[in-house]
Amino acid sequence: MRQGVRFRVSTGEWILLLALSAEVLLFALIAQNFFTLGNFFEILRLSVELGLLALALTPVIVSGGIDLSVGSMMGLAAVLFGAAYHDWGLSIAGAAALALLTGAAGGGLNATLVANFNIPPLIVTLGTLSLFRGIAEGLTRGAVNYTDFPPAFLSLGQGYLWGVVPTQLLLFVPILIGYAVLLHRSVAGRAWYVIGFSPAGARYAGVPVGRRVATLYLLSGLISSIAAIVYVAHLGQAKSDAGSGYELDAITAVVLGGTSVFGGRGTVWGTVLGLLALSVLRNGLHLAALPSELTGVLTGALLVATIAIDRLRDVPAARPQAGQEEEIPVKNSQVAVLCGTIVAGSLIVAATNVWLVRSVRSAAPATSAAPAAAASTSRRPVIAMMPKAKGDPYFVSCRVGAEEAARELGVDLIWDGPTSLDAARQNELVENWITRKVDVIAVAVENRGGISSVLRKARERGIKVLTWDADAEPDARDFFVNQATSEGIANTLTDEAARLLGGKGDFAIITGALSAANQNEWISFIKKRQAEKYPNLKLATIRPSDDDRDKAFAETQTIMRVFPSVKLVMAISAPAVPGSAEAVRQANRRDVNVIGLSLPNMNKPYVHDGWVQTVVLWNTKDLGYLTVLAGSLVTQNKISSGTTSFEAGPLGTIQIKGSEIILGAPVMFTKANIDRFNF
Amino acid sequence: MFHRRELSLIIVIAALGLVLAAIAPGYFARENLSDLFLGNMPVLIVAIGTTVVILTGNIDISVGSVFAICGVVAGIAAKGSGSVLVATIAACGVGAALGALNGSLVAFLRMPSIVVTLATMVALRDGLRWGTEGAWVQDLPPGFQWFGLPQSSYPVVACAIVVVLQSVVAWAMRNLAVGRAVYATGSNETAARLAGLDTARVTFGVFIVAGALTGLAALLNSVRFNQIPSNAGLGLEMKVIAAAVVGGAAIRGGEGSLSGTLLGVILLGAIGPALTFLGVSAYWERALQGAIILAAVAVDAVRERRAFHAAVAASGPA
Repeated sequence: MRQGVRFRVSTGEWILLLALSAEVLLFALIAQNFFTLGNFFEILRLSVELGLLALALTPVIVSGGIDLSVGSMMGLAAVLFGAAYHDWGLSIAGAAALALLTGAAGGGLNATLVANFNIPPLIVTLGTLSLFRGIAEGLTRGAVNYTDFPPAFLSLGQGYLWGVVPTQLLLFVPILIGYAVLLHRSVAGRAWYVIGFSPAGARYAGVPVGRRVATLYLLSGLISSIAAIVYVAHLGQAKSDAGSGYELDAITAVVLGGTSVFGGRGTVWGTVLGLLALSVLRNGLHLAALPSELTGVLTGALLVATIAIDRLRDVPAARPQAGQEEEIPVKNSQVAVLCGTIVAGSLIVAATNVWLVRSVRSAAPATSAAPAAAASTSRRPVIAMMPKAKGDPYFVSCRVGAEEAARELGVDLIWDGPTSLDAARQNELVENWITRKVDVIAVAVENRGGISSVLRKARERGIKVLTWDADAEPDARDFFVNQATSEGIANTLTDEAARLLGGKGDFAIITGALSAANQNEWISFIKKRQAEKYPNLKLATIRPSDDDRDKAFAETQTIMRVFPSVKLVMAISAPAVPGSAEAVRQANRRDVNVIGLSLPNMNKPYVHDGWVQTVVLWNTKDLGYLTVLAGSLVTQNKISSGTTSFEAGPLGTIQIKGSEIILGAPVMFTKANIDRFNF
Repeated sequence: MFHRRELSLIIVIAALGLVLAAIAPGYFARENLSDLFLGNMPVLIVAIGTTVVILTGNIDISVGSVFAICGVVAGIAAKGSGSVLVATIAACGVGAALGALNGSLVAFLRMPSIVVTLATMVALRDGLRWGTEGAWVQDLPPGFQWFGLPQSSYPVVACAIVVVLQSVVAWAMRNLAVGRAVYATGSNETAARLAGLDTARVTFGVFIVAGALTGLAALLNSVRFNQIPSNAGLGLEMKVIAAAVVGGAAIRGGEGSLSGTLLGVILLGAIGPALTFLGVSAYWERALQGAIILAAVAVDAVRERRAFHAAVAASGPA
């Protein structure tokens, strides 16, 4: 037991420190405004929630356990915090106390099951992972989003001390020191290491194993709820999906920091380094305008490379069963070659990308010489455009139009966003774009309450802000490129459903994720329309598809069995429409209609064979085109608050109502016209 | 050997069945059971591989990403060659190759499997997103869906494949030297090595098997549809690990059985639709699922503790 007793830096930490310095050096060279004090603190601010979870997990993993429920606990604590403040009339302090209590109770449940019932922590926390998130979804029906917290509270997550230091560091640093003391300087900390080496040995040595382990899980629940409060203050919203997937990021940070998953080995300092390595990587990639998908690829490579080098340099005293590490049947040279290959591989990937981005940038002016020259001789404006989720085919088709516009207009387009729906990542990216000093930020907003504060900050710094696809609060942006209002879409869908059913009958809705904000808004307008105009239509059930085609398929099969009276399935998530259609087709239920919001291409076979009656959407390519065009015009001050219309090239004359740029009515794709669209 | 966990699971499943039979007998209609089987078939096949990996004391959380990649690969291969056989070989081959990547890092570099597969899970998923940009594989050849069989006979074929696979692997794990080697490696790796087993090769092998099975599952799932999404298998790793672990596989290795995993898959796969049949709102489903998992393992833990206390009492004070 060498480590932990003193604050000594182990080999693994040296390697990580080296990797971190390499990252910093690389990004300082290729990323704009990366190497500044402001950006350094911004990285720290964005690391706090994740850092709290990683801190809580470090001793848990050192003791040979695991806690997968930390992210879900964040969701539950956030929702209860919001509900306590808004619905139950508690003060912020009271609500925070309730959130902490919830964290302690959830941690207590884990602790009881692990320590008293001797159930392996992986199973327990896998169960509570579903349980906590499930309760949060059940309480809020997935939809409720608590916003409007007092500014004094929000400054905990958004404010600065002395102009640069983010407020939440005041909370993070004491907890960090507390954990360091607890793990490295206290009796309990020693006990956790001993338990990690050998629980049986610890018991024989007189360590109260059950009690020590219970403390750990209790603490980790408690810290998760503190992370939840910081998260709410940071994003200004509390919703049941807070912290989804954070458990894996936190575990990655801990493991990257050299903590052994077998237990008995690891330090708080390692975790901090691991966390910084992750955050710097993410921030640097954003500032260098490299695609977000690289984060995952490089994180994986970094993880494998650090641990592999660590294995090579440092023979660990792992758990007794695996104690024969000296007999590793490979030579160190082979290990070195392998690690070298991995590192080289990831560098090649990164380098190719830098090269690609650079070459695209230098090639662009040639193809768009005329408008660029007309604009002026000054620097090309940079428009940063963010979809809700990058891999989503809907947004991929928007991108095509956006890139076309960027080529024609001679502007630089940065297209990046979260790889899956994630409000916190959107905020993070906007912050990074502010640091990078782009000219226009255009965001498809995942969560309006959460993103508005950062968008306001961008406007204060002189950046023009547009929203597209979904709006933020009106004062947080200059213009909203509105493809169709939520109400318009809902009405079109409901009217179409009523038309197909002849005004009466049962229908079912397949949504995306239960907590998806857009879908929940559509559902509420669909219900409203149905209540007002079609009293004989009945909504039988709402089922989630989690944007997964296969799940939509299975849910539709179940719906057709449980509700035989349902004659129409309305799928309001792009992959769900073909999923539902396939289920209806395989059941050969010609009497069941399928309509929904989706992309033409993936539905063509079903529309032609008559399984899908109507797909409602707007022309996504035009939406992307119009957004970039509007961004470019805004930078030239050609449209401002008084403008009522402008010429949009191939799109004709575009109307502006107030501060909303209107794309036009939604398109209904049917057998007659669907082949004319290709996206 | 008597497996207590399996008995607990059978009791829980039977209880669920009785409630369903009383309230919603439509659940047991042949078509519904057939659909449920097809829907959970990929989970079961992947879970067989994961169980074998867990038996060696390792874990593989990259299966969801591998599943997505193999599906896309199968689709591209089928489009390119027009032959389902080529698609099968491609899917299983790519699965096995990715399994070999995990396996070599775990077995030969002795890196913790959870770290390795966490890294490959993230890297492969984001790599696929980057490569496909979310595009689906479409316009598959006509002989692809259901292997060109009629829709009604595909469940029979799939069922036959799964039954053969499950029983062959279960039999091999019990009766063949290679199966015993897996248990031995998981129970005590040092002892196994000292007894002359090449434990590194065993570990390497189980990851390849798990990868190839994931590829097979992706293929059998893809042929049920006529286009292949590039975001398949999200959260699949959690489902299969939950099934194996609820089925009694010890996460430390060396303990567990394929019949337990089968029961775990049945329980977890049956709950979701059962709750719909019972009229539970979708918003409470996840909470109930978590509660049922916890209940299943807690019942077992309580019984175990009672048995332990009974044994202590019987042996008397030392």
